[in-house]
Amino acid sequence: MKIISFLSHYRHGADILERIKTTKLGIVFVGNGIYHVGVSENGKPSPLLDKKDVSFYALIDDIETRGFKIEGIDKRVKPVSYEDLVDLIFNEYEKVIWL
Amino acid sequence: MKKKIAFVIKSLPYNRETSRLGLTHAIASQSVDVYLDEGDMIEPVVCFIGDGVLNCLKDQQCMKHYNNTSMETHIKNALLVDLQVYICKEDIERFGLTKDDIVTDAQEIGADKIAEIVPFDKIQGIMEEVDHLQFF
Amino acid sequence: MGKLTIGTFASLVGSYAMDFAVKLSEAAINKGHEVDLWLSGNATMLSKKGQKSFQDYSYHLKTIEGLSSTGRFNIATCDACSEARGYHKDDTISCCKRNTMDWYLASCFTADRVLMIGGD
Repeated sequence: MKIISFLSHYRHGADILERIKTTKLGIVFVGNGIYHVGVSENGKPSPLLDKKDVSFYALIDDIETRGFKIEGIDKRVKPVSYEDLVDLIFNEYEKVIWL
Repeated sequence: MKKKIAFVIKSLPYNRETSRLGLTHAIASQSVDVYLDEGDMIEPVVCFIGDGVLNCLKDQQCMKHYNNTSMETHIKNALLVDLQVYICKEDIERFGLTKDDIVTDAQEIGADKIAEIVPFDKIQGIMEEVDHLQFF
Repeated sequence: MGKLTIGTFASLVGSYAMDFAVKLSEAAINKGHEVDLWLSGNATMLSKKGQKSFQDYSYHLKTIEGLSSTGRFNIATCDACSEARGYHKDDTISCCKRNTMDWYLASCFTADRVLMIGGD
């Protein structure tokens, strides 16, 4: 199962991603999900980014909206535009969920 | 052609419309035929996972206090129209609940269908099998 | 080209989730895809006539009308969700249909991809 999941919250939603088994998983940080890629807590980046075999993306509009620089976000995360998201949804993944 | 859609309910009830809309969209599959070609059909499957299993508690009295249909009654209505309903066993146990605490049938309104309490692996299988997956 | 069905019940104002739904729709249309946008719950307000653009309030009316003019964008709003909010049929923008939830399910049936965007 190839899933692309939009994560729009910072404090919740990620637990579901720990449970679902996938053959291919993409996580797109949008909305306040952006804080996963923009801040560290107690000097540590979000543990979600340690998840193996996942492609991480973050919406450029929402990165910049929250005061972060594209070049400053975690290097494991690819900044993407809405146009990129359309391509990911149609070409790379089969199911799309919003958390 | 048949297409399966899973409505995965992970949200708590009442503070927001989220879980209720999940269930009412699933129930709407009963009248979708008017929009489809002959022979086409949608098979909805409703799954409660995570905090969402708390939608399934018995004895909800939302009608008494807010004059709104409770999630318990919405689940019974789903069973009445023969929707498949699955409730995650591990999440029920996590809250210290048993089958007796959870609405699994609606015999009093004439429903034959039973909501099944199943391991998450079963729900995983459903999510893999369906054509579209929606989280509420 | 494919068809994307987006369902949402996010608020028009106060939730950037609705902005996301509209911008994703626009990007998909610009790439040549078809989009159906289904509004239920608080999202129904997106389709109400008479919206005015104010600073700091999300406003998508012009975008929605532009997308509809492509012929590849369908927008429908939940009739019951709208009526419950005192928003009646004659108050609906001309490019938006009013339907029951089964319209959305039928749209999912013919969609290549479906995204349900939750509430706030």
